[in-house]
Amino acid sequence: MAIYSVGRKRIILALLLTSVLLLTLDLRGNPVIDNVRDAFGRVMEPVEAATGVITNPIEQVWNGIVDYDNLERENQALQDQVDRLVGTQAAAEAAVIEGKELQALYNLPSLSGIDTEVARVIGSAANNLDQVIEINKGSNSGIAVGMPVVNQAGLVGKVTSVTRLTSRVMLVTDARYRIAVKVTSSDGSFEAPVETTPSGLAPDEIADAATTTLPSTSVPGETVPGDDPTASTTPDQLPVPETTLPGASPPPGEFVDPVTGEPIDPSVLEALSELDEPLADVPTTTEIPEAAETTTTTTTTVPVVEKEFGALEGRGRLLLPQIRFLQDNPSLTILQEGDLVETAGGSESLAPSGIPVGRVANRADRPGSGGPLLDVELHADLARLNFVRVVLYRPLSEVEQ
Amino acid sequence: MIAGFFQGPLVRIIPVGLILLALQRTILVELQVDGVIIQLMTAMAAAAGVAGGSERGAVVGFVLGAMFDLAEGTPLGSTAVAMTVAGVVGGLLALIAADPQWWLQAIFTALGTAAGVAMVPVVRLFVGEEEPFQQQLAVVLPIVALAGAVLSPLLVPLARWCLRMKKAEWKQPTADVAT
Repeated sequence: MAIYSVGRKRIILALLLTSVLLLTLDLRGNPVIDNVRDAFGRVMEPVEAATGVITNPIEQVWNGIVDYDNLERENQALQDQVDRLVGTQAAAEAAVIEGKELQALYNLPSLSGIDTEVARVIGSAANNLDQVIEINKGSNSGIAVGMPVVNQAGLVGKVTSVTRLTSRVMLVTDARYRIAVKVTSSDGSFEAPVETTPSGLAPDEIADAATTTLPSTSVPGETVPGDDPTASTTPDQLPVPETTLPGASPPPGEFVDPVTGEPIDPSVLEALSELDEPLADVPTTTEIPEAAETTTTTTTTVPVVEKEFGALEGRGRLLLPQIRFLQDNPSLTILQEGDLVETAGGSESLAPSGIPVGRVANRADRPGSGGPLLDVELHADLARLNFVRVVLYRPLSEVEQ
Repeated sequence: MIAGFFQGPLVRIIPVGLILLALQRTILVELQVDGVIIQLMTAMAAAAGVAGGSERGAVVGFVLGAMFDLAEGTPLGSTAVAMTVAGVVGGLLALIAADPQWWLQAIFTALGTAAGVAMVPVVRLFVGEEEPFQQQLAVVLPIVALAGAVLSPLLVPLARWCLRMKKAEWKQPTADVAT
């Protein structure tokens, strides 16, 4: 039987005080502790690797038992998503080309000039509070604390600590995460595609069948790769190439066709800029040939876009990140579900402007002048990160120093 | 001093802790229960308290917590405090019964584990973190406590081995002593 005495109480007190001392030293920054941490990481590496090999079959059996039904449901959901994407892709392509043209006309900065470093996710937090992942690139690859991390879908998080070979990335859902964002409101005038490809087509059938035409960008006598009626558009040929940041565009003066990835003839762009039609009311038609016996017609009215700025905050694993401090002014714009959220940038922001974050999923109004609270559904699936891209970006304020 | 180290509990706690930490960071991150990661290290600290008393539980908790902090990159000492508390609570609860049954040990381990996990946001609050108490904690605590109870038949004997303790033997007094 364990006996409780004053002597034992002293030992417990000493351990607690030692913990507090270590905590203070570490929070103030101590090179000795950093070195011990590095050394411990090296000791743990082979132990973890061996444990991973041994426990991998158990993991697979567990996932097979627990996740099989989820996987089946997810496959069906993905199939529906593929169908919807085929329907909306044409509208998106037209918008991308127009956006690039406008960016070039006004010499706006774009993300394409920023270097990135691809890294593999090698671990995640082992406790229930932190939303942190570990990647296999560190300071040797030019990664520094504060750099934003993205994947092909959008913002994932930011680098919070770096060793020579690894880095830790705090995810957007972590309760300590904050970033300035802008909410792009479509003002309710965006018309979703009214007809989409019906569900049930296999992905390869869609790949064979889907053909996209862009009448709004075609110019008589000129050929745009995307206008080739024989060019097929498949779900994996998304407008964002492998080496491009989400939301990135080529440098000013250089344009890439989003369908083929080939440069667009400048003369086509000149003809585009001379179009008298306003940017609004651009009809876009996606036609699926008779082989699939379906036709999808998408009509998109480009809205007058309004932007509001706020701070996105993570709220933990189970809750959607939230935007606060927005001053909702009905005379300017009304923020609502479906509005797009992207990073705001700025001279002191850790992330450049224009990285897609997600869409507004819910809106809750607060009493007083606080403005609404917006829940944001992230584009990136943070539960399934395999590869991420670290944007080697430093805020302008740091670069100037 | 070196001889003392080899004769003391640390020589067993550290390698066992390395293996538990590796399990915590690999398989237990994948095998989540309702989105909650089971806290094997905290359960081990509580089990050590149940097996060896609050003092030994605190020592085991401190060592395991420090290892966890070093591997996870959390501020060194933050998890150590929480796991020390887990060991102490497990040990204090074990005072209730002289030689607790396995199910009592499971309950003590569960409560010690819950106390340790609940301490983590408290420490984070003192460190200066904003809003460390997440709504998720209401889901996390019962699950990790239950997992601690389920694991206690394995962890308590393991803790006893690490602490070089033998299970208490109660002998029936002889007739002479009885008279």
